[in-house]
Amino acid sequence: MSWFMGIDIGSAYSKGVITRDLKLVASHITRSGADYRKSAETMRTELKRKVDLTQNDVVNTVATGSGADNVYFAGRKASEIVCTARGIGNVFPQARTVIDVASQSTKVIRLNEQGIVINFTASQKCAAGGGRFVEVIANVLRIDLSDFGPLAATSRTPITFSTGCAVFGESEAVTRIAEGIPKEDIAAGVNKALARTISSLVKKLRLEEPCAICGGGALSTTLLRAIESELNINLLIPPQPQLITALGAAIIAATSAAPQSGRKRNP
Amino acid sequence: MYFAGVDIGSTMTKVVLIDKAGNLLSFIKGPTGAEHRQLANEVMRQALRQATLQIGDISYIVATGYGRLNVPFADRQITELSCHARGVSSLFPNVRTAIDIGGQDAKCMRIDNGRLVDFVMNDKCAAGTGRFLEVTAATLGIKLEDMGEISLKATKRIAISNLCTIFAQQEVVALLSRGEKLDNILAGLHDALASRVAALARRLGVEPDLVLTGGVAKNSGMVKAMKESLGCEILVPEEPLLTGALGAAILAKETHMRAEAAGEVLPTKSRRLEKTTFFTQEHR
Repeated sequence: MSWFMGIDIGSAYSKGVITRDLKLVASHITRSGADYRKSAETMRTELKRKVDLTQNDVVNTVATGSGADNVYFAGRKASEIVCTARGIGNVFPQARTVIDVASQSTKVIRLNEQGIVINFTASQKCAAGGGRFVEVIANVLRIDLSDFGPLAATSRTPITFSTGCAVFGESEAVTRIAEGIPKEDIAAGVNKALARTISSLVKKLRLEEPCAICGGGALSTTLLRAIESELNINLLIPPQPQLITALGAAIIAATSAAPQSGRKRNP
Repeated sequence: MYFAGVDIGSTMTKVVLIDKAGNLLSFIKGPTGAEHRQLANEVMRQALRQATLQIGDISYIVATGYGRLNVPFADRQITELSCHARGVSSLFPNVRTAIDIGGQDAKCMRIDNGRLVDFVMNDKCAAGTGRFLEVTAATLGIKLEDMGEISLKATKRIAISNLCTIFAQQEVVALLSRGEKLDNILAGLHDALASRVAALARRLGVEPDLVLTGGVAKNSGMVKAMKESLGCEILVPEEPLLTGALGAAILAKETHMRAEAAGEVLPTKSRRLEKTTFFTQEHR
């Protein structure tokens, strides 16, 4: 019996977990910052500390995320798609569709009965398709990202953004503020716009229920409600949605019967 | 007999006055504020003063641009595509392709014998418009009008891998912290925008003569990057911002002359310029 580590270095946040017997026993989340290599090291130290391992204990590690290359101590790398699928499979084995709302983009994955990826799609390299859009507008509204969801929840008349671009959306939000539109209606409008973009991505793959959601975006209950009403379904929501991909990486480390990611192995 | 064209763009408002023979009498450019109506009045007043004319001397006025409905004294509204095509072909009779890159959109027009026959435009994504340069200039802390000149000093081009303006902004910060030189980064940014607009233009087919207009045409780095992306010579008018307003003025003249020849009298709006204040002055 041993420990396994999954590290997911994203563009905004780094997420890591340690599993034992395919169960999550420790996790850590930190800003990725400018030095991904250092974030990866800090992640390893923190995770080991949390389960009382010494720095000399070797833990089989799988790295994923856009910064996976910086996890130089990882045994191998795996694609985010495969890791997310495995992570969700661990929490919701019944899920057939997974929506992963991250900062840079949104991914939609379709799974078969065995939890194997059969298809996936991702939003274009566009800030309007991911959580970044929320960050941009939160900045214009001068509110904290953590206040965004609760504020949006109080809106009764969300605005409709006329643009699908985060840059133009920023100007539009400024114009609405000048017109005296309450902040909550603008925030709710962002959720509505994002939910619409995400839903059209889901429909492109053909939605099959049950549908689970993960990624940092799933922390926003107002966004979840907006997606649910847009797709007319109930979503399966894991307790710590932003850890799912890292969890999947740890499971791949443990089972090692993981499907090949198509990326080159780390030495 | 005098005619006027008013072009209210997303970033700049332009007015052109011409006479019966089509001679340019005066032109004014000013930033578009939040209050289009007041601004339209103010720029018109300035243009009239420059030409020593009264508003009552203007026989026919055409408004264009995205704010064209907010010009209280305009007799007719015509889309900016028709106005640009007319303005460009009056300056360059052999034009076949016209590309206008504004602060908030990019338009590619196919022109045949001075007439607009087809067009494609992008107003959905900031990455294919002047806004891309505006945002990245702000990030780099340099003036928009200096960008082009600095980019021409580049010794190499740094490819910008992100398409989205917001992600490119992030990438630029990362490139700076990696110690890349400003001029090389700028060359890369100009390339990125040029290749996006070129891809748009290719949907129409690019045929010479090709004319580049809009605020972005004033950027020498951009003209060079477009030339390389499209692989053909690029003509730029002396005042690339004015082609829309010029086209509007010419169309005003032509509309009026046609009606006059047919013995009709066109209805016109009241020739009174309301007492105006700039939005900013009001709130100073």
